[in-house]
Amino acid sequence: MLTPKDEQELSEAVLGASDPLRIIGGGTRGVGPGAPNLSTRELTGVTLYEPGALTLVAKSGTPLAEINEHLASEGQMLAFEPSDFRPLLRTEGEPTIGGIVAANESGPRRLAVGACRDFLLGVRFVDGSGNVVKNGGRVMKNVTGYDLVKLLCGSHGTLGILSEVSLKVLPRPETSASLMIYGPTVDEAVGLMARAMGSPYEVTGAAYSSQDMAGHPVVFLRLEGSETQVTGRLSKLRNLLEPFVPTGENYAISELTDVDAVQQQWVSLRDLDEEAGTYRDVWRLSVKPSDAPAICAALPEPNYQLDWAGGRIWAFTEPGTDLRNIIGQFDGHATLIKSASNLPRFHPEPAPLANLSAGLRNQFDPRGILNSGLMG
Amino acid sequence: MGLVTTLPRNETGIETVVGVLKQQLGERLQTSEAIRTQHGHTTTWLENQAPDAVAFVQSTEEVADIVKVCATHKVPIIAFGTGSSLEGHVNAAAGGISIDLSQMNGILDVHPEDLDCVVQPGVTRKALNEYLRDTGLFFPIDPGADASLGGMAATRASGTNAVRYGTMKDNILSLKAVMPDGSIIQTGQRAKKSSAGYDLTRLLIGSEGTLGIITELTLKLHGIPEAMSSATCSFPDLESACNAVIMTIQMGIPVARIELLDALQVKAVNGFSKLSLPEEPLLLLEFHGSEASVAEQSESFGDIADEFGGTGFSWTTSSEERTKLWQARHDAYWASLSLRPGAVGISTDVCVPISRLAECVATTQAKLEELGIMAPIVGHVGDGNFHTLLLIDMEDENEVAAAHEFVSWLNELAISMEGTCTGEHGIGQGKRRYLEKEIGAGVDVIKAIKTAIDPDNIMNPGKII
Ligand SMILES: Cc1cc2nc3c(=O)[nH]c(=O)nc-3n(C[C@H](O)[C@H](O)[C@H](O)COP(=O)(O)OP(=O)(O)OC[C@H]3O[C@@H](n4cnc5c(N)ncnc54)[C@H](O)[C@@H]3O)c2cc1C
Repeated sequence: MLTPKDEQELSEAVLGASDPLRIIGGGTRGVGPGAPNLSTRELTGVTLYEPGALTLVAKSGTPLAEINEHLASEGQMLAFEPSDFRPLLRTEGEPTIGGIVAANESGPRRLAVGACRDFLLGVRFVDGSGNVVKNGGRVMKNVTGYDLVKLLCGSHGTLGILSEVSLKVLPRPETSASLMIYGPTVDEAVGLMARAMGSPYEVTGAAYSSQDMAGHPVVFLRLEGSETQVTGRLSKLRNLLEPFVPTGENYAISELTDVDAVQQQWVSLRDLDEEAGTYRDVWRLSVKPSDAPAICAALPEPNYQLDWAGGRIWAFTEPGTDLRNIIGQFDGHATLIKSASNLPRFHPEPAPLANLSAGLRNQFDPRGILNSGLMG
Repeated sequence: MGLVTTLPRNETGIETVVGVLKQQLGERLQTSEAIRTQHGHTTTWLENQAPDAVAFVQSTEEVADIVKVCATHKVPIIAFGTGSSLEGHVNAAAGGISIDLSQMNGILDVHPEDLDCVVQPGVTRKALNEYLRDTGLFFPIDPGADASLGGMAATRASGTNAVRYGTMKDNILSLKAVMPDGSIIQTGQRAKKSSAGYDLTRLLIGSEGTLGIITELTLKLHGIPEAMSSATCSFPDLESACNAVIMTIQMGIPVARIELLDALQVKAVNGFSKLSLPEEPLLLLEFHGSEASVAEQSESFGDIADEFGGTGFSWTTSSEERTKLWQARHDAYWASLSLRPGAVGISTDVCVPISRLAECVATTQAKLEELGIMAPIVGHVGDGNFHTLLLIDMEDENEVAAAHEFVSWLNELAISMEGTCTGEHGIGQGKRRYLEKEIGAGVDVIKAIKTAIDPDNIMNPGKII
């Protein structure tokens, strides 16, 4: 395993590589086919943290835990809420910030504040020819040419190996609360979540579980902010939604206001805790929220969780089931997150886009050595 | 002026293409001098480089057909929205065909349940919000000009709301575009996390018409807040105002807008918009949320302002007063021009880390004074971005030289502060020489991408790189 200690060594490692590189950060998500042979874990350390400017710059191999510690000491956070899938994927190691950025990994709060990509102010990376490239930086916005920052985010190490990332951070909310609605079908749930998102009560999480631990379907809505704010908004949200919750003994509304419990609840939804103990495959579908009910109805088994008010479906299937074949064409795409099979992880792109992507890959990595084959 | 480069023209190609397009488009291909000049660069001080013909297009397929003809003959294509860009973006440096998208101004679909809409590129930001009014939704990006949404996407534009709602890059779900070979692509679906592969949507956003022509946009919409309040507060100096901004942002007060006007800008605005604000540095803010939350936000800001010596703090939820204030802000450009009738306005656009903002603005003011240039300052300070509008008599060589000196001095100052020479206006022709200073080897990557996608360099040549 190559473990470069600085950008220079990283560049040399890429230049010197004759075989394909399989790149990992902390190795918590796996990189698909082939054993990892280059890790960024030694490229570590927070290089700049300016709480007043809401900016943090870190080397790509810096553990997420270390970043969170820095931020917590100033009452701040990574607002895009990256998940920790170690229990789900049964992997070990430390999630790194570079891995999170390379995968554009965002959790429930994305629907309110944006994705990882939206908080990424700048990157430094080494391309497939060993060149060190920097783009963006510490400023909140710039329009200096093509947005390489966004291009690198979510490119899964196939265009370049990140060496440093610069992020916008946000203050941690003072408190949070959840409103739970028990009983709704997926149709009802998506309707309730849309109503909540369209309200002025600043909902920062809208998830649905087709079966909670007790086997009930539940909608979860999260509010965050100052103590007085959250209490007020919670009761207003409840009043707003109550008339739309069908009556019947299966239906109920309840509130959770203990901040630790709320936090735990959303960590658990984010990390798909309930799925961690099973042997099933895990799929992540990106869809239009209003299409979610129909797509959920087409799933082979009714085991799923919704996030982002229905814009993200986590579907749990028997190992080896090719969900893309079963649900056919839809407005969105399906990514395989956990599987024992060798179905492709990424949704194949339509031909014209695949050609463009291949053209880009060829420019960034003419020798085809960076995680080749992973994204097409 | 040294900023506008003329590139070699493909005379035979251009002649052939104009002939072919005349056949295809009839009256919708215009070659009159007046229309051509109007489609070259018109805003600010760069020289006008008119295209050879202007095609008024009506559909994606038509754009694709034109692009194919141009591709065959290797003739440049310059997309044109409303032409409000400020760095020579629409100049035809090597001649060619301007594609005017203003007639593609249909709003194709609004999906309130998914908080999105699908529009053609010629729709302007005001027209869209007018249309959305009854739905309770709005599109938040508001550059000073009533620009086209296609042009705003192509320049990655932003406005006064960026602190809360982000810029164009944060509010586009997917694009349809005609690529340099005439192929039509759709970069994603309406699904929120739109791309399965690389983020081609955001590669096109900000590409200034150099990679493809955007012919349809799927935009993210936002609910009109239950309540809005606007606040003003004066400060003894720019530094105190900037420090109040930093504290506000750091405290997590979710301001929707936070704008700084220097004393000269306030004077201009007072005169132009009939206001009577104290002629001192001023912060102008807006808060969005529920009734209770805007009150809380306004008051928390009031406390912060107090701490930094702010005076005359007042806030209002009256929509009439709010509109008046923000109209005045949006008219700042015209107000500034009225300070010196006959002068040309040259806008700078640096953006620095917010921790360096106070220092950067103060140094800038001192430099303006030293050079004797009249230039009001207005800034989207929540993002660290501010504009100086140099009011220059273009007949006076010394003034023009001083303006040049100032612009490059300021761009380099921003870069040295780990900032950027352009926070929202873009590179176009005017800022190409700063790009390399700012992003170094990144320029080679941009060139490589351009070559991969547009090998014959027919899409808006001479821009960005
Ligand atoms: C008074 C004033 C105030 C301004 N304030 C702001 C501000 O606050 N924030 C800000 O960001 N900008 C501001 N600007 C700059 C300008 O308004 C923006 O850059 C705007 O986005 C340009 O849009 P447009 O429709 O006028 O585009 P145009 O000027 O017509 O074109 C701009 C560029 O985009 C390309 N283009 C246009 N349409 C398309 C398309 N459909 N597909 C591909 N490429 C296309 C063109 O080729 C060109 O390179 C201001 C300008 C003025 C005059």
